[in-house]
Amino acid sequence: MITIAISVLFLAAFLVLVLKKDMIAISAIVFSFFFLIFIYLAPETMVFAFSGWNPPFGIVWVLDGLGLFMALLITGIMSLTAIYSVKYIKKRKHRYYTLLCLLTIGLLGISLTGDIFNMYVFFELMSVSSYALVAFLLNKESTEAAFKYLVVGSLSSSFLLLGIAMLYGLAGTLNMADLATKVYGGPAFLVVLGLILGGLSLKSAIVPFHFWLPDVHPAAPSPVSALLSSVIVGSGVYMMIRVIFTVFGIVSVFWMLILLGLVTMILGGLMALIQKDAKRLIAYSTVSQIGYIFVAIGIGTSLGVTAGLFHLLNNILLKSLLFMSFGIVLWHTGTRDMNRLGGIGKQMPWVAFCFGVGALGTAGVPPLNGFASKWLIYMATWQVSPVITAIAIIVSAITMAYYIKVFSCIFMGHSNIKIVNKTPKMMLIPVIIITIMCIVIGIFPQIGIMFVEPATNALLNQSQYINAVLGGSVI
Amino acid sequence: MIELYLTSGLMMMLAVYCIAMKPNLIKKIIGLAIFTDAIHLLLITIGFRGNGIPPIMTHENVNTFAQLSVDPVPQALVLTSIVISISITALALGISIIAYRHFNTLNTEEMNRLKG
Repeated sequence: MITIAISVLFLAAFLVLVLKKDMIAISAIVFSFFFLIFIYLAPETMVFAFSGWNPPFGIVWVLDGLGLFMALLITGIMSLTAIYSVKYIKKRKHRYYTLLCLLTIGLLGISLTGDIFNMYVFFELMSVSSYALVAFLLNKESTEAAFKYLVVGSLSSSFLLLGIAMLYGLAGTLNMADLATKVYGGPAFLVVLGLILGGLSLKSAIVPFHFWLPDVHPAAPSPVSALLSSVIVGSGVYMMIRVIFTVFGIVSVFWMLILLGLVTMILGGLMALIQKDAKRLIAYSTVSQIGYIFVAIGIGTSLGVTAGLFHLLNNILLKSLLFMSFGIVLWHTGTRDMNRLGGIGKQMPWVAFCFGVGALGTAGVPPLNGFASKWLIYMATWQVSPVITAIAIIVSAITMAYYIKVFSCIFMGHSNIKIVNKTPKMMLIPVIIITIMCIVIGIFPQIGIMFVEPATNALLNQSQYINAVLGGSVI
Repeated sequence: MIELYLTSGLMMMLAVYCIAMKPNLIKKIIGLAIFTDAIHLLLITIGFRGNGIPPIMTHENVNTFAQLSVDPVPQALVLTSIVISISITALALGISIIAYRHFNTLNTEEMNRLKG
C-alpha cells in the first residue's frame, strides 16, 4: 500500500520533465503527505514485504511510530517547500521539481525501510539529488560548494557501505530486526558501529564533520537550504538513532553521544556569533541545535528521548521557517551580507514577524515551541548532571545573542534599501503556515508531545520492533 | 582469500590518499571510484567460496544446497552499488565540467587563489 505513494512520486519525477508542468510534482508531493496521514491514523505497526519474500529474506518496510513520525514531517515540509519554490526558482524549473521528487523518495525510503542495505540505497538517492540541488544555480560559488559536498558526502557514504558490508560478513543478514537478534557487543561489532556512525555523522553535522554545512547553505537556493538544514540533517539524526537503538541496542555509546553533542552545541553557537553572512549564521545555528538533540537522546531515558525527538521536530519547523523567510529577503534584495542589509522591517512587516518567531523560537523564548522542547531537555539533563544543564542554558543565551544581532541587522535600523516588488502569495503562505504551527505548538506543547510519544515508544521498545517484523503478521 | 582482503584494504588506503592529497578534481573522482571498488571487492570476497556451485536451486535438499553454493546476496549488493557509484561519478564529472568553465582550471589550489 505504501508503494502507491512511492510510485506516484517516481511517476511524477519522470512526467514533470516530459510534460513540463510543475503542478504534477507539487500535487504528487502533497498527495504523499495526505496519504501518509491516512496511514498514520491506522492503529498498529504495519510491515510490508516486497515481492512476497517474508522477512528476514526479502526487503521489508516497517511503518512504526518513529518511521511514520519522520515520514510525516518530511512530506509536510517538502510540500510547503514545493509550493514556496513556484515563484522562487526562475530557471530550469522542471529539473528542479524532478530533483525535489527524487529527494522526497530518498527521504521517505530512509525513514520507512526495515532493511539496512535498502536504507543505504535510499540514502544515496537522497545524497545524489541533494548534491544536484546544491549545484542548481550553476554559478561559481554553488559549483565549488557542490563539488566539495559531493566529495566528502560520497566518501562518508562509502564508509557507511563498508560498515554494512562488514556487518553482513559478521551477522549474515541485512534485515534490521534480524540483525538486532544477532548483534552482540563484541569488539568486531563495535568497529562496524564506528564505521556506520562515522559515515552517518557527516550528514547529521556533528562537530568534526560539520564543515560542509556552512559552506553549502549560502551557495544553494533558499528553499534547498531550508531542506538541507531541516529534513536532510534530520534524516541523518534519524538514521543514527535507528542504528544505535534498534539495530545495536548498545547503551555504552550514550556517553559518547552526550560528549559529541556538547562539543557540537558549544562550537556551533560560538562560530555563529562571528558570522557576517546571514545564511552561514543560521547554518551554524543548525549545528548548535543538533548538539541539543544528541545530548537529549544520549541521556537515554524516556524523558530524554522524548525531549530529543521533540527538539528535532521543532528544529525542522524553525529552520525551514528561518531559511524560507530569509529567502524572501534574499529574493527582494539579492544580498546575504548583514552589513549591507538593514531597515526593511517596516517595508515587509509580515516577513519580519515570521523571521522573528523563528529566531526567538530557536533561542527558546517562552511562548514559542523551542522553549517547550528546551525545557524538557533541561529537565532530562538535570537528572544526570546539572553541569550539562548549565552548559545548555549558557548556549541558549548565546543563541539569543546572535539571533538578536541578525534580526536587528536585517530588519531594524534606518532603511537604505527600497523594496519595489510585492512578495508573491505563494511564497508568503507556506511561511505563515509554519509560523502558525510554531506558535500553536509553543502555546499547547501537549500537541507536539502527543505526536512525539509513539516515536519514543517505538525507539525504546526494541523487542516490540523485532516481534512486529519477525512475528509473522506481514502484509 | 587473505590476499583479497589485503588488496581491498590497500586499495582503500590508496583511495583515501588520492582524495585527500591530490588537488585535481578528476583525480579526486578517480579516488572515489577506487574506494567504492575496494568495498565491492571486499563484499565479493565475503560471499566467495572455493569450488562453490552457482546459487541456482537444483538440489532437493535445501540444507546441503546452502552448504555447497556461493552466497548470492553480496553479488546483488555489488550490482546495486555499482549503479549508484556510476551515477555519482557522472554527476561529479558534470559538476567538474561546469567548474572548468568558470575557473579555467581543475586544480583546487588555483581555484582558491582565483576566488581571492
